[in-house]
Amino acid sequence: MVELKNVSYTYPTGQHALDHVNLTINDGEFAFVVGTSGAGKSTLIKLLLRELTATEGEVRVNGYNLNKLKQRKIPDLRRTIGVVFQDFRLIPNLTVYDNVAFALRAIDAPTKYIRSRVPYVISLVGLAAKAKSYPDDLSGGEQQRVALARALVNDPQLIIADEPTGNVDPARSYEIVELLRGINACGTTVLMVTHQHDLVRYFGGRIININTGSVIFDEVIGGADEV
Amino acid sequence: MRFNSFKYLVGQGFRGIWFNRVNSFASLCVMTISLVMVGMSVLVSTNITKMIGSIERRNEVIVIIKDGAPINNVNDLGENLKNNENVFEVSFYSKDAAWEDMQKTMTEDEKSLFQYMSKNPLPDSYRVRVSDISILSQTVAQIEAMDSVDLVKAPNDFANLLINVRKICNLLFSVVTIALIVVCFVIISNTTRTSVYARRREINIMRYVGAKKTFIRIPFFVEGLVIGLISAVLAFGFTWFAYTEVFNTLSSSFNLWAIFGIATLIPFKDIALITALCYLGFGILISAIGSVISTRKHLNV
Repeated sequence: MVELKNVSYTYPTGQHALDHVNLTINDGEFAFVVGTSGAGKSTLIKLLLRELTATEGEVRVNGYNLNKLKQRKIPDLRRTIGVVFQDFRLIPNLTVYDNVAFALRAIDAPTKYIRSRVPYVISLVGLAAKAKSYPDDLSGGEQQRVALARALVNDPQLIIADEPTGNVDPARSYEIVELLRGINACGTTVLMVTHQHDLVRYFGGRIININTGSVIFDEVIGGADEV
Repeated sequence: MRFNSFKYLVGQGFRGIWFNRVNSFASLCVMTISLVMVGMSVLVSTNITKMIGSIERRNEVIVIIKDGAPINNVNDLGENLKNNENVFEVSFYSKDAAWEDMQKTMTEDEKSLFQYMSKNPLPDSYRVRVSDISILSQTVAQIEAMDSVDLVKAPNDFANLLINVRKICNLLFSVVTIALIVVCFVIISNTTRTSVYARRREINIMRYVGAKKTFIRIPFFVEGLVIGLISAVLAFGFTWFAYTEVFNTLSSSFNLWAIFGIATLIPFKDIALITALCYLGFGILISAIGSVISTRKHLNV
């Protein structure tokens, strides 16, 4: 569960990025966060990942009060969150398998668990046949699937996807969102930041629009795919 | 931490060395040379200190006893001198022995001048050697205050010269040693920083998936440690070879040194263990501190 109560954030330069934002995303929800560049979407993500601490208000993620979270406890919070970035952030000299396994190795998971979990997650995103390929041999859509598999592999409660379709061709964008919806259907909360309004209109659901640091729209709309 | 994870991280450390092999090799060479120079600087300093010490110990303070002092008082004075903390050797030099020795140095003409003398003009004395020449003047003052002491003759000028030589040597070697340690530290920090930069993407991902800082640091620590350890071993080998060569070259003149009372060089086998331990200790310490400091700022994701 994600909860922001009256949250504001001002950068050290004096720039106000978020202004008294109130937001609740319940467990198992799927929400799109939209907004123009500089609206405050990235700051919101940074607050949820505890890269930044709110200058005012309270942020709670998966039971952690981020205002009071000690530095050494941040890894514990992040183990409950899977993050997908626009630029994939895959390690080029590691295979698909190793890129996904890397996320588990980094949290000191048992080897036996890695060996069983990684192939399962790779097959979940439809890349079983490419487990031994390197990122450079894959298309943008496939690379983003690997990034998704990596985010999923430690079974997070929340997935934050920051413009996951930004570097993927339009046709593949729909596949990525479908994949995220499939993950959400299994009970994982998904928060997807995007500026592709056509995707949002197509899939519908909860839309949170941020503009100049404030939530100006937060409603559920019907999608074209439901028609 | 699980053994398999530890094995993986150590492997990553070696992988880092291989990926940055040119940089690692350069670091290894410069670090080895710096360690050799630190080691040599310390060894030269130790030997010089030993030599100066041996010269210091040959310097005698002559304590002239009051003429006619009772034998008990003379014995008490001897005991008091032995009890002084800075005195390591006391020997009684009787007026008769002094007269005999003096005569040995005289020509026949000089001897003839003294042949009608009825009484030995020389005094009884103690010859005292001090342990630490830097506090000679205090020791002399303490002796002068003792009963039955007529006069104390001490080589103050020579003592001051030795003290200054020792001070300059210590200062010089300390500065060189500290400078070289800083060089080693900068080299390791630089190697780690390059490695961290090359792997910043991995570090970034590790932070986002919830890796602990220690977990992220281990490969870089291993990388620094391996370079530090190999440098230490190579530096020890070079030092052994170079020191033994110098020792063998100078050994033919050791007898001459002994005549002048100068201590000979310390044989390498006597200092091999401590040298090896110091190199390993420095190698490990510098690499550990260097790698930890270099990774710190990159971990704040």
